[in-house]
Amino acid sequence: MLSYILRRFAYGALVVLGVLVFLFFLFFAVATPDDIARRSVGEKATPAVIEQWKINHGYDRPLFPGPGHYKDNLFVRHMTSMLTFDLGRSDADGVPIKQRIAEGAGPSLALSVPLFFLELFVSVVVSLFVAFFRETYFDRIVLVFSVFSMSVSILLYIIGGQFLFGTVLRWFPLSGFDSSPSLLFRFLALPVLVGVFASVGSSIRFYRTVFLEEVHKDYVRTARAKGASELRIMLKHVLPNAMIPILTNVVMAIPFLFTGSLLLEAGFGIPGLGALTVEAINANDFSTLRAMVFIGSLLFVLGQVLTDIAYTIVDPRVTLE
Amino acid sequence: MRADGQTVLFARRPNLRGEESAQRGLLPVLLGTLIAAVLALGCTNRPYADEESHEPILYVPYGEPPKTLDPAVAYSTADHVVTGKVYDTLLDYHYLKRPFELIGGLAEHVPEAEPLEGGRVRYQFRLREDLRFARDACFEEGPKDPARFTEDGARRVLATDFLFSLSRVADPAVGSPVVEPLSHIDGLVAWGERLAARRKNDAEFAKRRVSQQYQEIGALSGFEVLSDREFAITLHSPYPQILYWFAMPFTTPMAFEAVDYYTGEGGRPSLDEHAVGTGPFVLKRYDKRARIVLEKNPDWYGVRHPEWRAPAATFPSLEGVTGLSAANIEDFAPLAGRSLPMLTRIEMRREEETIPTFGKFMQGYYDTSGIARESFNRVVHEGGLSAEMAERGMRLEKSVVPAVFYLGFNMDDPVVGSAAGERSRLLRQAMSLVTNSEEYCRLFLNGRGLPAQSPLPPGLFGYEEDYKNPYRTLNFEEARRLLAQAGYPGGIDPKTKRPLKLTFDVADTSPESRVRFLFWTNQWRKLGINVELSATNYNKFQEKVRDGAYQIFQWGWVADYPDPENFLFLLTGPMARSASGGPNTANFSDPEFDALFGTMKTMENTEERLEVIRKMRAILERERPWIELFHPEEYALAHGWLRGVKPAGLSIATTKYYGVDAVAREQARREWNRPILWPAWVFLALLAGLIGPLIGRYLKERT
Repeated sequence: MLSYILRRFAYGALVVLGVLVFLFFLFFAVATPDDIARRSVGEKATPAVIEQWKINHGYDRPLFPGPGHYKDNLFVRHMTSMLTFDLGRSDADGVPIKQRIAEGAGPSLALSVPLFFLELFVSVVVSLFVAFFRETYFDRIVLVFSVFSMSVSILLYIIGGQFLFGTVLRWFPLSGFDSSPSLLFRFLALPVLVGVFASVGSSIRFYRTVFLEEVHKDYVRTARAKGASELRIMLKHVLPNAMIPILTNVVMAIPFLFTGSLLLEAGFGIPGLGALTVEAINANDFSTLRAMVFIGSLLFVLGQVLTDIAYTIVDPRVTLE
Repeated sequence: MRADGQTVLFARRPNLRGEESAQRGLLPVLLGTLIAAVLALGCTNRPYADEESHEPILYVPYGEPPKTLDPAVAYSTADHVVTGKVYDTLLDYHYLKRPFELIGGLAEHVPEAEPLEGGRVRYQFRLREDLRFARDACFEEGPKDPARFTEDGARRVLATDFLFSLSRVADPAVGSPVVEPLSHIDGLVAWGERLAARRKNDAEFAKRRVSQQYQEIGALSGFEVLSDREFAITLHSPYPQILYWFAMPFTTPMAFEAVDYYTGEGGRPSLDEHAVGTGPFVLKRYDKRARIVLEKNPDWYGVRHPEWRAPAATFPSLEGVTGLSAANIEDFAPLAGRSLPMLTRIEMRREEETIPTFGKFMQGYYDTSGIARESFNRVVHEGGLSAEMAERGMRLEKSVVPAVFYLGFNMDDPVVGSAAGERSRLLRQAMSLVTNSEEYCRLFLNGRGLPAQSPLPPGLFGYEEDYKNPYRTLNFEEARRLLAQAGYPGGIDPKTKRPLKLTFDVADTSPESRVRFLFWTNQWRKLGINVELSATNYNKFQEKVRDGAYQIFQWGWVADYPDPENFLFLLTGPMARSASGGPNTANFSDPEFDALFGTMKTMENTEERLEVIRKMRAILERERPWIELFHPEEYALAHGWLRGVKPAGLSIATTKYYGVDAVAREQARREWNRPILWPAWVFLALLAGLIGPLIGRYLKERT
C-alpha cells in the first residue's frame, strides 16, 4: 500500500509540475508585465511609475533563461517560488499571498465545513428515507424537489434566499461575515442553508439510486429472512455497503473545503478563499490566481490519493498495489 | 409487489428488539430541532452586535477594498475612502461652497504665491500649534526626544515631517504617481535621482533605514524649514495648482518613525496596510476584505482645541454659501458651528453585490447608499424621491461629478486623424453631430448624466452653463452635408465604393457593454458609416493603444482637483500617448492650443483666464479630437437620521462633517426588521403532515 501511495504521489508531482508550466505560459501569454502593472497602478500612472512597479514586483526580469540570466528570470522564479511555497505578493495590492490565504482559510472553512457535513447528513438521511418509503408520494415529492434543486442556478438560490430570509422574513442578515462567536452563526446560517438547498438535490438522487441498488441484493433478502427489521436493514446493512460510491463523492470534496465556495462566498460577502479567487479574477491579480490554481492542483492530487486510501478502509476487498 | 398487484411497503416482521421505536420519527425531530435552533439562536437580520446600536456610529458599505494606505502612493477613490479620513492635509476644501474653495487645514491659512526672480514662485506655510500624530506603536521605539514629543508622549507634527513626506514622493522606490505634478518643486526630481543613484552604487547605503538615507542625500532645494511650525516651498516655475496637491493626502505629514517601523518585515505590516496619520479618525481595524473600522482621533487638533473654531474642524456657517436647497439649509443650519468630527466611529463593511447592499440600506443597517440599477424606479420618481422613500424619511442628494466621458479619435490615424487634414476634420464634426448622449444617459444611466458640451464639467472655473457646442447638438442634415463635403457622400468611401469602414476599439467584452457601445455605432450607421466594434480584453486594448492601432475609443477622466487645467492638459501635445505615454490618448497636438494652455495654467481665475479657456474650447469645438459625451451625475441616498451630507464629487474626505441621530436610527431598525416567524411553524407542520402518514402506515403494517 505504501509503495502504491508513493507512486500516486509521484504521478501527482508530475501533474503539479505540468500545471505550473502550463500556468506560466497561460498567464504570461494573456498579459505582459506592463499590462499587469498598468492594471495595478491605474490609468493615470506615468511610464516611470509603471517601471517602478515592475521592479518592486519582480516583473522587470526576462521571461525565460538566457545568457546572463539563467537563474534570474520569470520562468525560473515562478517555478522555484511555487515549489518552495513562497507564493509572493499580490499583483493588486502587494500583500503577501500567504497572508491572504491564511486570512481567507478561516472564513472558508467556517462556511464549507458545516455546509459539507449538513449536506452529507441531509442527503444521506433523506435518500435513505425515500429508499425506505420508495414509490410513495413522498418519494415523488423528493424527486420533484431534487430535480428542481439541480436544475436552478445557485445564483438564483442566493438572490432568492436573501430576498426570502433576509428581506421578507428577516431571519438572517442579507450578507456579511463576522468571526466573533456571537455573530458567526447569524452570518453563516443563510449561506449554509442556501448551499445545502442548492447541492442536496443531486446527492439525494445519486444516493437514492445507490441505496435502491443495494436493497435488491441477496444479502438484504437474507437479512430479511433472518428476521431483521427494515430499519435495521437500511442502517446496518444497506448503508455500509453503499459507502464506496458515497465515499468517492465525499472524500474528493474534503480537500476542496479549504478553497471555499466561489459563488456562495462572493454572493454573501464572506471573505474566504473562494471570494479571494473571484476578486483576483476581477482585478487581474495574476500572482494570486497562479497561487490559487497551484493550490487547487495540489489539493486535487491529495484528494485522489485520499479517496484510494478510503476505499481500503470501507471495503476490505479493495487493496492498493 | 404482491400477486394482487398492490405494493407492499414493508415486509411484516415481528418487532423482535424494539429498536425502531427509539428511532421512530427521528428525521422530523432532527429537522424540527434544527429549525427551532436556527430560529432561537439567530433569528434576526441585524448584521451588527446589539450593543453598538445607540452610539453615533456611521455605518457605510464599500465595494472595492483599498489597494494601499501609503499616502504617497494611494491614488484611487477606494484608497482615499480610508486615507482621506486618517491623513489630514495642509489645506482643505470649504465643505459647502461651490465652485470649490480652498481653506486652511493643518496650515493656518492658504498661502499666497510670492513671485521670485527667474520665474520661480514661493509659498510659505505656517502650521497650527500643537499638531500631533495619532498614537502608534512606532513612536514607542527608543528614547523620546522632547523636541519631537510632548510631555504626555504624543509625537508632534513638525515642518520636517512635510519635508520627509515630499522626499517620499520624490523617492523612485516608493513609486508615487504624483511625482510629475509635484516636480514643479525646485530640486524634487534631482533629489530623487541622487537618491536612486546612490542606492545603485552603494549597497551599504541601500541597506540603511529610509530616514537615514534621506538625511544623507541632503537637502531638497525647494523646501526651506523656517522653524518647527513654518516652512516654505519654492517652485521653479509658476504652478498655482500646486495648492490643490496640498489638499490631498500625498503631501500629508509623515513621521519618519512610521516609515522606518512599518516596513512589512519582522511581522509588522507595511504602510500599505497600516496608517499613522494626523486626521480626525484613526484606523482601529483593517481587515480590508471584510471590515474597516475608524475611530475618532483624540489627538486631532479639532478634538483637542474646539475653541479655535478652525475652519476645517468646524461645521461651516451658511453665510456666503449659495446653491443650497431648502432641505440642505434645514439640515445644515442646526449643525453650523458644531465641532468636528461628530461621529465616534465609522464602521465600513465590504459589500461586493449591489442587491444585498441596497437591501441592508433599506433595512436601516447602512446610513447611506448609492442606488442599485435594479431599484432605481422604486427609489426615484420624476427626478425626485419616490413616495415610498420619502415616507421613510430618506433624502436624495444629487451632484454632478467633476468628470467627463468622451469618445476620442486617434489623431495619428490616417483616416480619422490630422494627417487627412480638412477631410478628417469634417468627418469628425459630422460624427459628433449625430452622437446623442442625452438618449444614452436616459437609456443606460437612468438619466444620471449631464450631456457634455466641452471637456469641462460643472463646478469648475471655465464651465459655462450657457455654452452650447454647435457640434454637440443633434443635426443629421448638417452631418450629412459635412460628410459629403469630406468626400464621403452618404457615408460611401469613394476608394472602395462601399460604406466608409472605421473601427471602434473598446476594452470590454461583456454583452452588457456591447449593447452600450453599439448604441454609438448605430448612430453613425444612420450616416451610412460602417463603424465596427472591436471588443477585446483590457490587456489587448492596451497593446493596441501602445501600438497606435486604434481609430475610435471611449474613455473618461475624473478630476484630481477642481481646476480646468486638470482637464485641458489631456489634450496637449506633450501629453500625447504616442509621444510620451501620457494620458492624451487622442494624440491631439495643436501648437495654438498648447500655447494657450501654457498661458492659462498659470493664471488666476480671472476674466482673462476665462477668455483663454474660451479660445481653447473653440479649437476643440472645431477640431473635434473628442466627442464629449456626458458628465456623470451621482445620486446618493441617505436616511433622515444622517445629518450634514453634501456630496462633493471629488475624492475628498467629507465624513467628518456627518452627524447621526442614533436613537432615531435604532427605532427605525427595530420597526423595520421584526422577524416573521409563522412560516417556520407552517413549514414544520407541512413536513410533519407529509412524513406522519408514512410513519403511521409503517407502524400499522408492522402490527
